[in-house]
Amino acid sequence: MSPAPRTSVPPSPAPTPPEPPRLPEVRWYERLNVLNVSLLIFLLACVASTPALRGSGRDLDYAGNLKRFLGYFFPPDFSVWPETLRALGETAQIAVMATAFAVVIALPLGVAGARTLSPGWLVATARMLLNAIRTVPSLIWALIGVAIVGANPLAGVIGLTFYSVGYLGKFFSDAFESVDLEVARGLRAIGASRIQAFQHGVWPHAKPLVWSYVLWMIEYNLRSAAIIGYVGAGGLGVQLAGYQEYYQWEKFATVLLFILVLVTTLDLLGEWIRRRITRKLPTAGS
Amino acid sequence: MKPAVVDLPHVAARGLGLKRGDRWLFRSLDLNVPRGTFVAVVGPSGVGKSSFLTCLAGLIPPTEGEVRLHDRAGVGHAPGAVRGTTGVMFQNNLLVPTSSLLANVLCGRLGRHPWWRTLAGFPRTDREEAYRILCDLGLGTKVNRWACETSGGEQQRTAIARALLQKPELYLADEPVSNLDAYLTGRVLGILRQEAAQQGRTVFCVLHNAELVERFADWVLSFDPSGEGAWKLRKLTHA
Repeated sequence: MSPAPRTSVPPSPAPTPPEPPRLPEVRWYERLNVLNVSLLIFLLACVASTPALRGSGRDLDYAGNLKRFLGYFFPPDFSVWPETLRALGETAQIAVMATAFAVVIALPLGVAGARTLSPGWLVATARMLLNAIRTVPSLIWALIGVAIVGANPLAGVIGLTFYSVGYLGKFFSDAFESVDLEVARGLRAIGASRIQAFQHGVWPHAKPLVWSYVLWMIEYNLRSAAIIGYVGAGGLGVQLAGYQEYYQWEKFATVLLFILVLVTTLDLLGEWIRRRITRKLPTAGS
Repeated sequence: MKPAVVDLPHVAARGLGLKRGDRWLFRSLDLNVPRGTFVAVVGPSGVGKSSFLTCLAGLIPPTEGEVRLHDRAGVGHAPGAVRGTTGVMFQNNLLVPTSSLLANVLCGRLGRHPWWRTLAGFPRTDREEAYRILCDLGLGTKVNRWACETSGGEQQRTAIARALLQKPELYLADEPVSNLDAYLTGRVLGILRQEAAQQGRTVFCVLHNAELVERFADWVLSFDPSGEGAWKLRKLTHA
């Protein structure tokens, strides 16, 4: 069989490939999302805040000052350990009592502030109250406590109780809002009252989170309780204020070391307990 | 011995209809289910079986018609008014994940006690009965485990145990055996069948297995997926 004769028809030109789609340009105003705008504002605020770095304007030896001041702390004078230990115990008592009172007050406020559990007007009122409480620093609350009951540990308990209510109330609200209400609705469907549906359908779910926040608050209050003594509200702060006043920095260092050991120990312990509690919690979607 | 029953049906539906969007899940549904009947609810997925049970539980209002649940004295009630006498086994179980299996089962008794009675725990008799039911369902060794630490099948059995402890007049079971093996499926449906036949408690149970329907049900209510809301009620001859 002979091969097919070649034709004289010229080959048709290859079709031109379509132009690849062009990457659309992003216009400048399309980059103005919340993230970028807030970042820009922060950078502008940094530039506007440089006057804060001017200091006194005097020619001081900053490094020399620091070295001299830290030198006062060494060696720490451990002879004050008995009174430091006693003050440490008082600090812990202030923190524990304040947290306990705060939990009792914050729980109903937390329920009132949870959008999934309470009507809008109650949520707004509770949240506004909690925000207002949080606005006032712990030292000011302690001052108010001292004004009410005088300079003693009770003032510290009162001060830290108010301060903690602001935080715990907010955390508890968030914990209650994170609970899936389907279970509570299911219990209502089989005859549970509203209170029972909360008691058995919401509270068991929120309880581990609530307890985890309480542990965190105890730790936080221990740190705060060590400071509020500066205004006379008992605990280690009273000792710190006294040593500072008489320039006994080596004793001051001992108290700081005790605080460091206590806070670190509690931090580690609290973290371990929180991990044990929350790791059993079902994650979203499971 | 089967308790004496009044002439009135236990569950009565008149012209019941439920619409989702522009589609009727069921329409013009008339039912007179005598006390102690095991009704299997069947049909393809998404046809409206769960919605029908939810409607019977009074959790969603029907688009048209009404449901009346007659008590043993013959008095008719709207489903929402007698929730404590309806035991619902939800498709997704609705257990409290951070409560023990025992605590979850005891929730079946919430409707019988005032809130202050259950504040510090349930009566001992309730706890013992809950434990016995859990043992019956093969969960005796796991009563103190959190629900979220157990398997899907164990959670399903816990939800069944909760309904059994409630001792309701009406069981609404939405695919109660979907996660169970053949033995436990027979066991659970056998218990529900016994509840109907011996205690005069009515059971509506969503099932997908035709063999199980034939074996356990007295009546079969099937829904049509056409979207016209068609349904069919069939009484099985063995019953």
